[in-house]
Amino acid sequence: MKSIKRTQRLISLIITLFILGMAVLVFKLIHESSFYMMNSDKHELGFVYDRKGDVLFDGTGEGSYPDNYFLDVGNIIGDDKGQMNNTLVANNIEKLNNYSFSNGLMQNGGKAAIYTTLDHASNRAVFNAFGYQDGCVCAYNYKTGEMLVSASLPSLDVTKGYADIGSFRPGTLLSKTLSGTVPGSTQKVSTVVTALEIMGTSNLYAKSYNCSGKYTNQTGDTIDCHNIYGHGTQNIQEAFENSCNPFFAQLIEDDEMPLDRVMKQYEKMGYVLNGGEPTYYEIDGIQCDTASTTLEDKYQFKTQWGCIGQGDTLVSPMQLMMWQSAIANETGRMTMPYFIDHVTDVKGSVKDKAKTRYSDKLFSESTASSAKQILLTNGADRYAYSISGYTVGVKSGTAQVDEGAHENSLLVGFVDDPSFPIAFCILIEHKDSGYLTTEQIAQVLLDNLKNNN
Amino acid sequence: MDSLNLILCAVAAAALDICILVLIITAYREKKSTKKNWHQVSNDMELAEQDKTYELGCDEVLIGRHASADIRLPDLSVSRYHAMLTVANGVWTIKDIGSKSGIFVNGELTRETILHENDMIKLGNRRLLFRKRRDPRVR
Amino acid sequence: MYANPVAYVFSCIFVLIAHFAMLTNIWFNGNYTEVRDVAVLGAAVIILDIAYFAVILAFKQISYALDFLLILIIGMSVIFQSCFGKVGFDVKHYTTCIVCLAACKAGYMLCRDHKLLQDKKLYIYGAIGVMVLITLVFTSAENMWIEIGSFTLQPSEFIKPLFVLACATSIADQQKKHKILIFNVVYENIALFCIMAVICLVQVKSHDYGSLPTFLSIYAVGFLLRICYPKAKFSKKKLFGVIAVLVVFLLIGLKYAPDYVQHRLHVDIWSDKTGDGYQQSQALIGIANGGWFGVGPGKGFLVNVFAFDNDIVFATISEEWGLLYALMMVLAIIIIASVPLINPTRSYFHGSMSACVCAAFIVQMALNIFGSCNLIPFTGVTIPFISTGGSSLLVSGLMIGMLMAGQSPVFKEHKQKKQEDPEPAWRWKE
Repeated sequence: MKSIKRTQRLISLIITLFILGMAVLVFKLIHESSFYMMNSDKHELGFVYDRKGDVLFDGTGEGSYPDNYFLDVGNIIGDDKGQMNNTLVANNIEKLNNYSFSNGLMQNGGKAAIYTTLDHASNRAVFNAFGYQDGCVCAYNYKTGEMLVSASLPSLDVTKGYADIGSFRPGTLLSKTLSGTVPGSTQKVSTVVTALEIMGTSNLYAKSYNCSGKYTNQTGDTIDCHNIYGHGTQNIQEAFENSCNPFFAQLIEDDEMPLDRVMKQYEKMGYVLNGGEPTYYEIDGIQCDTASTTLEDKYQFKTQWGCIGQGDTLVSPMQLMMWQSAIANETGRMTMPYFIDHVTDVKGSVKDKAKTRYSDKLFSESTASSAKQILLTNGADRYAYSISGYTVGVKSGTAQVDEGAHENSLLVGFVDDPSFPIAFCILIEHKDSGYLTTEQIAQVLLDNLKNNN
Repeated sequence: MDSLNLILCAVAAAALDICILVLIITAYREKKSTKKNWHQVSNDMELAEQDKTYELGCDEVLIGRHASADIRLPDLSVSRYHAMLTVANGVWTIKDIGSKSGIFVNGELTRETILHENDMIKLGNRRLLFRKRRDPRVR
Repeated sequence: MYANPVAYVFSCIFVLIAHFAMLTNIWFNGNYTEVRDVAVLGAAVIILDIAYFAVILAFKQISYALDFLLILIIGMSVIFQSCFGKVGFDVKHYTTCIVCLAACKAGYMLCRDHKLLQDKKLYIYGAIGVMVLITLVFTSAENMWIEIGSFTLQPSEFIKPLFVLACATSIADQQKKHKILIFNVVYENIALFCIMAVICLVQVKSHDYGSLPTFLSIYAVGFLLRICYPKAKFSKKKLFGVIAVLVVFLLIGLKYAPDYVQHRLHVDIWSDKTGDGYQQSQALIGIANGGWFGVGPGKGFLVNVFAFDNDIVFATISEEWGLLYALMMVLAIIIIASVPLINPTRSYFHGSMSACVCAAFIVQMALNIFGSCNLIPFTGVTIPFISTGGSSLLVSGLMIGMLMAGQSPVFKEHKQKKQEDPEPAWRWKE
């Protein structure tokens, strides 16, 4: 009967709603069970491997390894102890958990693992090449985005624990490739790209400015050149090779470089301008600082100094390296780096296979190829002997830190070889305290990557 | 996890499943006997119009023009809620629930009366016959 | 006499098999020191089953499906509760389960004659009043139980079946209209609304926000089954208007709710894992630990968490018996609530009563399960039949008795003085 049917309809409505809720619940439970398990006291972690199957992190803690075996990747791969939270393991610990809802917790024999793209042998070689000096190196394949080397000194061997954490040197617990540093003259790559984008190639090459060792800008401040006798009149290629500060100060002041367009281009390239909210790139859960600088008034010292790569400008080595990919590929798009090639679950089946991703377009293809030419010419003119055996496009830089007390040496660049597409960034801190040069590190890096493959 | 545990858990769950299934089947079987019981309680009556029959499936049957009425007579001469049929002790009673045109049973205006087999009920312009239920298969 | 002897025998056998399979699982997987513990538990459950099968025959019902479902779930409940932590016969829960079965039969006897209930509706209102008074006088926000010896009673639980009875209505009752000003009203509906308001106020006063949704859902079902019968058509527009107003009030209420309520609504269980989120986070970890097939009866670690046997009982069962089994248990309760779908009731009073009971069961279960799994704010309500707690089991028994009454009703006329309604002033003449 109709009236009784009405009560039945109501009952079925209530039950249907409840069953829907239960379905959502079950889905959620199965989906998030791994996360729940990570929050419990007991979990069984798996391994992190490099591209050749070499162990980078042993979650079981049972294997025995040579002394300092994990030293070179200590602060990028990290561990599960919670002391470092911007590391691969800390941010992907669920993927290492030997647990799945249908199989339960695997006490032993679980095959959960992360297969990274890193090259442990090359990484260790580069790490050792630093000797007693500090710094960092990152390098990746700019065609695919595979991170090959990421070393940062000082580092730690995670198997030794944190008992003497008090005696760790500053910067041990974080990878310097991820945090902003003063880029020095490597910033001029960005400025050249900006000028190319705004003026066009032929227009920029037509410009030439005089350098007499120092330049007094329109507001009366002095921009010093590292060559106190001056470089004379130069075009963009010469100035880039000379890394001439007065030239770039005048370029910024040029009427054809309106500040709003410069700012727009800088923002496109990922700079956070004038104390804006800092943002991050996320590389497999690891946060990488984006660049920041000050652009307020193009006739002012601070802005010009920022475009030359000193002052407030901060760029992470990772980001410097990523810009190189946009130039080297001649597309104007950065190849986004990744650490994790694939992940295996408890049963060993492969999932989350990495794919190459690209950023939005930062600048036009023609700008990219012009900038590539400038970098390659610089490489051929200045670095053919110090980095031998490779066609490289590079830009060096010297950054003054600690208010001029120390100088950091930087080198960014790429190898122009379709079969060996490597973009890299090298940073040596306090270069004056030793005889190590960035070119030496680059040679070690490229040789190892070439020979280990 | 050892396989014994898994198998036993699966067996226990399966046993529970089968049990629930059997109980549902039992409920369906009971549906038939409840129906039979209802026919006993309700004396197996129905209401019939010229070409339509109305089943009397529960103990309160509301007749009217309103959409929520059990027996809906879409005729303006029938009130929205016109009459109510109730059953108790196997006897059906018709009751006026505030209709405008009243109820006539066998031609007599009434407020509440006990129905007998083959009574003619007139609600507004509609005539309904109260009769023993006929099995549609036996014509 | 029961018309389906074959179905009866088969049902008995399969209920026994289901319980026996559980006991076998305990035998092989359970965490026990002496075999005697398992034997005692098994004997108790099987004896209870057989005793109940024998007893129900004396009641001469038309339908026994609900009885079988009830004894199935009660047996499961006894087994679950006896296995938490370590296998050992839980005498207290066993006793309350027997009380529950008795309450079920009592509820059935009381409610099978709906005409009688309708005549005695005033007594029901009175009983609700008494219970509300008891709740107000004997309990406070800190302690909502009354302790009698070693048993504790929660008076607000007992309002539930009474409120269900008050919400149930027959069509005839809905036609007893009275004119106030220009509105045709049914006194009963106004009385019901007042009762609802009073109960809500009492619940808020005693800080028992957990059972508030249960009462609201019962009332909502009762209300929805009433609005079909007013003479003035209750248009969809009006209905949506009422709902909109209610939602606005709810939002305002939430905004100005006391701090401890706000806190409950916003607590992030994972960042407060050792504090307020402890129960829920442990419950979720327990479910994850159990997986589909569980760690084995008596081997779980959730027994160390407060209220493992009532508030987060779903997680405890999931951990020890597996999510699959816990879902089966939920299914069994859903089937109980959906028996009126298979076998419709024969009177509107019983129909609306069944719907209210179903709403109460399902909402309580939803609050418990979804609450302990962090889908909705955590409230301390119980799952009917499965959780421990004398009041909860007793009341669930009473309510299932009401469902049973709807399945096997009697239709009797009670002698009463008839009062003639005045005839309408105007009428067509034949």
